Order: sequence, then structure tokens, then C-alpha cells
Amino acid sequence: MMGDLSFVAVAPEVAITSAVVLLLMVEVSMHPRPWVWGLVAGAGAASATALAGWQWYWLSQAGNDAGTSFHGMIALDGFGALAGLVMFPLVGFGLMGSWRLAVKQGRRGAEFITLALLAAAGGHLMAASANLIMLFVSLEVFSISLYVLVGFTRDRVDADEAALKYFLLGAFASAVFLYGVALVFASTGSTSIYGAGGIAAYLRRMALFRPALLLVGIALLLVGLAFKVSAAPFHVWAPDVYQGAPSGITGFVAAAAKVAGFAALARVLIAGLGWQINDWAPAVAAIAAVSAVVGTLFAIVQEDVKRMLAYSSVAHAGFILSAFLVAMDADGVLNVGDATGAMWFYVATYAIQVMGAFTVVAVVAGDAEGRAPLDRFNGLGRRSPWLAAAMTFMLLAMAGIPVTAGFVGKVAVFSIAVEAGYLWLVIVALVVTVAGLFFYLRVIVRMYMEEPDGEPEVARAGLGAQAVLVLASAATLVLGVYPWPLLRVLRGDATLLVEALRRAVL
Amino acid sequence: MDFPILSVVIVLPVAGAAAVALVPRTRPQLVLPVAVAVSALPLGAAGWLLWQFESGVADFQFVEQHGLSGAWGVSYHIGVDGISLLLVALTALLFPISLLASTSITERVKAYAISMLLLEAGILGVFLSLDLIVFFVFWEVMLVPMYFIIGLWGGERRVYAALKFFLFTAFGSALLLAGILWLGVSNGTFDFMALLGKGIPRTAQFWLFGAFALSFGIKVPIFPFHTWLPDAHVEAPTAGSVILAGILLKLGAYGLIRFNLTLFPEASVDLVPVLAVLAVIGIVYGAVVAIAQSDIKRLVAYSSVSHLGFVVLGIFALTTQGLQGGVLQMVNHGLTTGALFLLVGMLYERRHTRQMAEFGGLAAVMPLYAGAFLFIALASIGLPGLNGFVGEFLVLLGSFLSLRWYAAVAVLGVVLAAVYLLWAYQRVFTGPLAVEENKGLADLGFREIALLAPIVLLVLFLGLYPKPALDRIEPSVGVILDRIEHATDYQVPEYGIEADLDAHVHVGAEP
Repeated sequence: MMGDLSFVAVAPEVAITSAVVLLLMVEVSMHPRPWVWGLVAGAGAASATALAGWQWYWLSQAGNDAGTSFHGMIALDGFGALAGLVMFPLVGFGLMGSWRLAVKQGRRGAEFITLALLAAAGGHLMAASANLIMLFVSLEVFSISLYVLVGFTRDRVDADEAALKYFLLGAFASAVFLYGVALVFASTGSTSIYGAGGIAAYLRRMALFRPALLLVGIALLLVGLAFKVSAAPFHVWAPDVYQGAPSGITGFVAAAAKVAGFAALARVLIAGLGWQINDWAPAVAAIAAVSAVVGTLFAIVQEDVKRMLAYSSVAHAGFILSAFLVAMDADGVLNVGDATGAMWFYVATYAIQVMGAFTVVAVVAGDAEGRAPLDRFNGLGRRSPWLAAAMTFMLLAMAGIPVTAGFVGKVAVFSIAVEAGYLWLVIVALVVTVAGLFFYLRVIVRMYMEEPDGEPEVARAGLGAQAVLVLASAATLVLGVYPWPLLRVLRGDATLLVEALRRAVL
Repeated sequence: MDFPILSVVIVLPVAGAAAVALVPRTRPQLVLPVAVAVSALPLGAAGWLLWQFESGVADFQFVEQHGLSGAWGVSYHIGVDGISLLLVALTALLFPISLLASTSITERVKAYAISMLLLEAGILGVFLSLDLIVFFVFWEVMLVPMYFIIGLWGGERRVYAALKFFLFTAFGSALLLAGILWLGVSNGTFDFMALLGKGIPRTAQFWLFGAFALSFGIKVPIFPFHTWLPDAHVEAPTAGSVILAGILLKLGAYGLIRFNLTLFPEASVDLVPVLAVLAVIGIVYGAVVAIAQSDIKRLVAYSSVSHLGFVVLGIFALTTQGLQGGVLQMVNHGLTTGALFLLVGMLYERRHTRQMAEFGGLAAVMPLYAGAFLFIALASIGLPGLNGFVGEFLVLLGSFLSLRWYAAVAVLGVVLAAVYLLWAYQRVFTGPLAVEENKGLADLGFREIALLAPIVLLVLFLGLYPKPALDRIEPSVGVILDRIEHATDYQVPEYGIEADLDAHVHVGAEP
């Protein structure tokens, strides 16, 4: 049984915000040493992760159905719990990787940690929103935290520029999204994504009456969220923001935006607008193709590793979008389980790879710095063999070479698109993947086949960064060799993860 | 359950790589001996496999299958038949030899040895896998160590050559993966044996054939996709060239036989003319370009284009003799070209040049070396009594039955091979010993003789008594041709029966 105000649905957020409040109060009143921040933040992230796991377990028990609470605002289902299981470890590892950066900020370090934690809470709420208004609010919580994080090193002009650019464009995208919410509300009479009286129910009932206003609304929602996941042509902020943000936190910013953005997109498009799939699928396919091509082409010409990774993330956004092209079976039922499973596998493993890659970048190019020119990687294989090895593995994973999780993810999402009949998109994506090898290999060439210019400095990772790299490499390898148990769980064989979505669609 | 010998064959090099990684940093001189020793283990396993393999049986043997994914239709399914058996043995043989030939590698020896062993595992996996996803995984995984072997330990233009090799192959892989995904998703399984039972629509067969053939054709390489080959072969270190020419090229031809002919029989029959034309162009073009080379390593590289043309011609002759010859020729080419690259490498280590103009009259100072070179060159040309003759003769015999005019042109390749190899021999080994530095060149040492001896013996053995090899190839080839006959109207021509390639056109006329 679950009351409408069940705190089970927001348990992880309660843990995170408690940690945030505690951290701020302790900082203001006692000026503790940095390890206290680490303790509080670590406890917050760990308990939020555990609570998301508990949600998952709770839902798997007989009699505990997926549903919504807070008057249909927040969903409690496997999808949301899963988002927590990805997002909260992500913020934990993100803070581990950027620990030296946080400490360097002096007294402001606590704020830095606070903002990262708040971003994680907002990001998880985005994934768990069952109402477009709630989604908008969490989107803002998430985004504003990220804007500040990007500009946190105030003394650097390019960081300020990046933050301002992210903020202005982000605010614009939020406005577009909000306009979409208004139009969808105007044409369906609801802001609930699903559930009785929600958008999905309306679309099912009014199978023949689909106002054009609705289509415009859907398009605007799509644009707003495509901005968040940096899908082309709404990606122009990404390279500047990635490059300007302090390298230590760029990995978290990049990974969290993908996780939260795609989770929200899946909930809105598949759960809310699944009945309308024939209208939005071509648009999504077009965005996917454009992202894959544009991201790859621009990544090829970059001379800065962070910009390169930014454009590569645009390409990856395109690859992930191909999992949204859900096939419909003979009975008109969307094959949601496979699609969201593939999407989650790709998003989660990509988040791991991005964190790993940016952790190396932060160590090599300086964690408070913005720029990371390719030259800095010259001869890294000789200077810091382990860092170079980790970077190589992450890049190969992003390139989709087998024995890495990146390959499994690509096969998973492309299978979805093939099944739905979008073979052309898969061919485009695969050809582009090959072109993408070029820029991943370029970094590897620099690391192993070029000598460093001038004084070769040995880059050393801190303990936190080392831990992140070991874990990221291990996860990428294990999930590349034996992904089946995880894939089975994510696919959710008609279990709790899919149940909410499937029911919503039907 | 039986002893999982095939998994052991694949895992042994990986375990060997781990063993090499454990060699202490302070003892770099131990790395290569350890690597050679561990690479002898898969050779032993392959020998056992050869011994235990039941000759005259068409089915896959030593099959292992473990479901991996349930609903996705991916399973770890491996097995060996007569075709892959010989290629596995070739792989297991060439790796210890090329590792032993790598003494000139002095920088980052450990990474080098590990790359080589991982490459071996990948190649063995490709030959043995019977699941398309598993196959593709091994296929792609192999690229990375090969990329590093060329790019890190190669010649002057190594970075360029490595990138070109990688991008060419990866482009082919992209189409291959698209094809595999379509095949697997639409049939609900990626298992090769299960897919054999499913009818693939005729139109789809053409597209899939195209995707697979392009990918494999780049690897073979079939003209006009061969441009990566000279760069990669020339820039790679000696051992890399041996592996590239000896084994990697065979992967493409193997894929054509295993997947294109078997999974897409109708498309195979219809597209014979296209492949045959490209094969014949490759035979003649490769040979002509080889004649024009002044760098002896480049010459050997282009000769591969020509020789692999014979393999492809044999495969698409779609006759028992042609296919048998094609498979045998894959092994033969692996042995002879591998040996040629070894010999060229030995010369390069002594003189640090590969320009034939720098040499002349070497037979006087290096008689053993000259003898070995001549022997291998003659085998490569196809002198009766040596292995090359058996393979090329079977290919020509088989293709004469079904592709008479193509075979007639292909014979040119045999003649031209004599031209470029004997001319090269003449320029390097005969005449006066004009260049001063060449006068003090040492003849083959004990290690080098040990490297060449097994290859020389096998060249002789396969030339005089190819029956054991052919007996193992024939049933597997027969199954493939039976499938083609069954699926189309095509009749495999035999002696005395006229080939009729157009017969399949009348499919609709059958009751």
C-alpha cells in the first residue's frame, strides 16, 4: 500500500538534501577540515544510492505496485529507481574525481560539493517526474546547479563565458520546453505524463482527434530536452561549456546531463506520448542522424581534447536516440522493455566512460583549467603509463570496440532501430562510428607515438581520481565481456521497470 | 562434457599475455623468451587438434555452445571444420615463429609481446566462432593490437599506415555489423548454425552479400580495396608483416567461404561474375605492380594481392577443386609469404635497406640465405613438387570448369609471379658483389635457420603429399557446395560435364 504522500518515492532526494543542508550548516558554523565535507557528501550519495536500491527492492516485493505519489507528481517505479542507481553513484564518483579541485577552492569547496549533490537530486527527480510541471521544476534545479558548477572557477574568463553561455542558452531551452508543456496542456487538458486523466490516457481515448497544436507542443518538448542531452542541432553550447568548465567537474556535468536528459526524454516520449510515436519517431530519427554526423565531423577537426569529447558526446546522443525508435509488435504494443533497457545500458556505460575520460583529462591538463590541448597528451604513455592506459581504454570504449561496454551498448541500441525498420539510421550511425575512430585514435597516437614537447612532466592522479579510473575501467571491461545479467535486469523481462511504462502506453 | 579444447586454444594466448605481463620490469631480456614459450602452448594444442580431428567428416567438431543471453539469441558457439582447422594450425605455427623473429624489437618489448599474443587470441577466435556476434567481437578486437603493432613498432610512416589500416578495416566492419544486426534481429538468432536453417529472402541476400563481401573484401584485399595493404605491410615490423600477410588476409577469404557462400547461396551464384572479374584483375594487377617495385618488401606485399586473387577466384569458381584449392592456397600463401617477409626482414636487419638496387651477388656471401630465398620463391611461384603448385593447380583446374576464360587470364598471374620473384632473386643474389657493405654480410644464424626450417619442411610436405590436408578440406567444402546446389539451380560442374552458370536463372520453371 502506498499513500499519495508516500516518501518512498522521494527517499533518495531526502537523503541528498539532508546531506546538503548538513554540509552547509556545518560549514558555516564550524569551518571543518575538507575531509568532513567528503564524509557528509559521501554519506549523502551512498545513502541516496542505497535508498534507490531499496526502492527497487521494495517494488519487487509482492503487493507493492509502481505508482505515483504527491498527487501524481513523482513516479515510484523501476525506471525512477534505476535512474537513482545510476545518478547517485555518478555524483559520488564525480566528487571523488574532482576532490582535489574542491579542496583547492578553499572555503567555497563546500558550496561546490553542495551544488553537485543538488544537481544529482534534480537529475534524479527529472527521471522520476510523472508530471510535466514537476519535470520542469526538477530540470531547473538540475540545470541551475550545473550552470554554477561550470563557472565555479571565477578567475578564469573562459569559465565565466562558458557558464553564461550555458545559462542563457539553457534558459532559452527551458522556456521552449515550458512553451511545449503549455501547448500540450492546451491540447490534452493535462500536464500528467500518464495515469488516469493524463496525456497518455487522452491520446489513447482521442485516437482520431489530434490537434496540430499538440504536434507543435511535442516538437517543443523534444527540442527542450534535446538541448539538455546535446543532440544536434541543439548542441552548440556543448563544446564551449565543456571547454570552459573546470576539467575536474566536466565529467560529472557531461555524464549527469546525459543520464537525466535521456531518462526524462524516455518518460515523456515513450510513456507520455507513446501513442503518438508515428509522429515523433521520424523527428527523433532525423535528430539522431544529424547528431551522429555533425558530432563526428566536428570532433574530427578539434585540437582540444575537451572540445573533441564534447562533439563526440553529440554523436553519442545521436546513437542513444536510436533506442527511442521503438518497434511495435503485431498487436500494436510497443516493445518498450527492450528499448529502455538498451537506452539505459548505453547511457549508464557511456556515463562511466565520460567520467573516466574526463578524470584523465583533469589530471593531465589541470583540474581547475579549462583548456586541454591535444599537445598536453604527447608522450603520456611514457610519462604516466597507467593514466594513458585508462584513457586508451575509455576512448576505445567510446569508439565501440568489442570487449568494452561501449560495443555492447552500440549493438543494443542499434538492434532496437533495426527492429523498428530504421536500417538507414543504423548504417549512417555505423559509418559515422568508423569516422569517429579517427579522433579517438588521434589522442591515442599522441599518447603513445609522439614525444612530449619540452620538459616532460609526470601527471599524477590523486587517490580519488585513481579510484574512479580503476572502477570505470573495471566496469567497462566487465560489462563489455559479460553484460547479460545487467541487460536482462534493464530489459526488465516484463518486471517492474517496464511495467509502469507498458501500462502507461497501453 | 568433452574437454573444451577450442576454448583452451583461444584462451591460451590470453593467459600467455598475462604471463608476459608478469615478467618483472627489471628483466626485459626475459620477455621475448617467455612470449615464445607461451605461444608454443597454442601450437601444441593445435597439434593435438590436428591429431584428434576426424578426417572425412563434414560437420563441425569439438563444438562448444553456451547460451549467453537467452532472449537476444547470442551464444558462445565455437567449432572447427576442415577449413578452419588448417587455418588455426597455420595461426598457431606462425605466431611462435614471428615472436622468435622479433629480436630487433628493443623498445617496449613487453607491450609488443602482449599485443602479439592478444592478436593471436583474436585471430583464433575469428576462425573458430560460430555465432555472428562472437565472430564480430573477435574480428574487431583483433584490430586494436594490430593497429598498435604497426603504429608503435613500424617503420617511418607507421602512424599513417596504421591509421589507414584501421580505418579501411573498420569501415568494412561497420557494414558487416549492420548486416549482422539485420540478420540477427530479423531471424531472432545470431547463431550461424541456426541461421543456416532460416530462409533469407532473395533481395535481402544481395544486400547482405554486399555488406559482408565488402567487409571481407577489404580484408582479403580484393581489388580495388587493396590500397591499405602495401602501406601496412611495408611499415609493419617483420613479425607484423608475417602475421598480416600470413594470417590476417586469410580472415577475409575465410569469411567469404564461411558466411557469404553458406548464408547467401543465391546471391553467391548470381554475383560470381563480379567477384571473378575483381579476382582476375587483382591477380594480374598485383603481379604487374609487383614487377615494378624497387623495394623488395613492397614487392612481396603486392605479390600478396596477386596470390589472394587466386584464392578468391578459387572460392567463387564454386567447384570442389576450386574451393579446395582456394583453402589450400590460403595455407600455402601463409607459409610462403610469411617466410618471404621473414627473409626480407633478416636482410633488412643486416643492411637497413630494402632497395634491391643496393644488393647484388649476395649468393656469394650468404649461400644458405640465397638457397632459402630461392626455395621459398619457387614455392610461391608454384613449382611442381612444392606446395604452391598444388594450390594454384587446383584453383585453375576448378575455375577452368566453371569460369574458363577467367582461368585463362589468371594463368598469366603464374607466369608474372615467375617474372617478379625470379627477377628479384636475380637482382639481389646474382651478379657481381658490387656494394662494399654487402661483402661482410653474415649468413643465416642458428636462430634464423630454426625459424625457416619448419616452414621449409611444410612447404615440401604439402607439395609432395597434400592428401592429408585435402582430405580434411574436402568434406567441409562439399557441404557448402551441396547447400548451394540445394538452394539454387546451380549444378557444381564436374569433369566431363559442361558448366552452366546460367542454369539458376530458370528457377521459376521448376514445378
